[in-house]
Amino acid sequence: MDGLIQQKVQRFEEFVDRRLKPDLVHAIAERDKVFEQQEVFSNLRRNIENLEKNSVTSLQTMVNLGSEVYMQAEVPDTQRIFVDIGLGFHVEFTWSEALKYISIKEESLANQIQEYTRLIASIKAQIKIVCEGIRELLQLPAER
Amino acid sequence: MQEPVKGTVTPLASLFPPEEAQKASKRVQDALADRQSELDLLQGFIADNTALVNLVQRLPDELHHDIMVPFGKAAFFPGRLVHTNEFLVLLGEGYYAERTSKQTVEILNRRGNALESQVDSLKAMMKDLKAEVSFFDATAAEAVEGLVEIREDYVEESSSERVIERGPPKPDSPRFSGEDSMKVAAEDEEYARMMLRFDELEKEELAAGSGDEHDEDEHNEADVDHSLSQLSGDHVLGSLEERQVRKPLHHSKDEYATTEELLSKKHFEEDFANQLKLEGLKEQSVPKDSDDVSHGKSFANRATQSSSHGKDNIQALPTSKAETSVQSSKPATDSLKAFTGSIVEHTRNIQMNPREQAASSSQSSGSQPTKPVSRFKMQRR
Repeated sequence: MDGLIQQKVQRFEEFVDRRLKPDLVHAIAERDKVFEQQEVFSNLRRNIENLEKNSVTSLQTMVNLGSEVYMQAEVPDTQRIFVDIGLGFHVEFTWSEALKYISIKEESLANQIQEYTRLIASIKAQIKIVCEGIRELLQLPAER
Repeated sequence: MQEPVKGTVTPLASLFPPEEAQKASKRVQDALADRQSELDLLQGFIADNTALVNLVQRLPDELHHDIMVPFGKAAFFPGRLVHTNEFLVLLGEGYYAERTSKQTVEILNRRGNALESQVDSLKAMMKDLKAEVSFFDATAAEAVEGLVEIREDYVEESSSERVIERGPPKPDSPRFSGEDSMKVAAEDEEYARMMLRFDELEKEELAAGSGDEHDEDEHNEADVDHSLSQLSGDHVLGSLEERQVRKPLHHSKDEYATTEELLSKKHFEEDFANQLKLEGLKEQSVPKDSDDVSHGKSFANRATQSSSHGKDNIQALPTSKAETSVQSSKPATDSLKAFTGSIVEHTRNIQMNPREQAASSSQSSGSQPTKPVSRFKMQRR
């Protein structure tokens, strides 16, 4: 009897360690990526709003050529901006269009984050269930 | 080997258990894999650096370049690169330098050199690790085969000079020291035999009387001797290493090797002392050194001896030496190397070996200060 129980306990533990925990780690990583993208877009939005506010028409900036070697660059006309919409495409926008796009993008990103959060929660719940099962098998007092 | 020597026999598997050797090998292989990935990273950096150098060189070709200027991570502005000869280079720790294209190229080249040296050191480390891996594998294989390590006590004989223990920095050294001691014991006996032979030949020489000039013979002899000694030396090196690798020990081979060694490394001075002794019988004074200086001098001796001295000595010497050499160190005589140096020294300042003095008392003319070591000897040393 004990042997059987031991076996079951071991199987449950292995299941937790090999499948559930890596899944959890994976989901968290994906969610972090989406967080970053969200941050990027919110920064962009802030910058565009700044430009609009100060009516900046031309811009001087430093461009990184690689390995931190910079070169001066000039943007004569800031009216047109090309935004990355994913899958390697960049769309030419005016400021207001760009702002509209960015707000829509931010919404979809927020949705994605919610999805990932739900997934992570479910994985955590599964882990908890298995642990409870192990405890029952071992007839240890249930922790509350 | 005449005397019973105490010894122990230990299976190699007990010293280096095969499983552990395999585990160690695996650990080292993991470390090797880590280094390999670091190496790949560094090589990526080097490639980037070279690409950047090319770019920096091409940019000043134009006044302006039309580019897409990035604005954050997800947006671009169409724009132009201006001031195409001015580069702001990060030197590290928040310090930047504004440089022209050529100067930037120089900076980047220096960075590339630093990366290359890192790559080289990493490669050297990897080579060492690979050697470790192969050693562990070999040990594991040997242990599985049931290789045995034999250790024996070294029995020192009072009359012989104990020359170099070639302590190899390998874990095989315990095996080697055992062999060494056996070898030396055998060598001493061989040596005693050779001495007796030399003594007999010497008497024959005395009886033979004066001989002709044979400059060539001298040189030949010098060549032969030198080549013999050097070859025996080389061969001894080769045979010693062989022995380290080969599993069972062969006494016969040991003695063989011991006599080789005898002739070459260990008892050079005695050899040449012997020969000199024979020559010296006809000469005024042939005091010899007891250390290695003598064989350089003895070479010089024979190389520069001219007609007035007993050439028959020299004639007999090659034959006697050839005899003993042939008998005892055949591999050495198989390929003769030419003695390419030139030694011009005088015969007066060589001291006699105490052993030899007993045998040729007629020639001692007092010990004299040794000359600076000959180039030949220094080469060999």
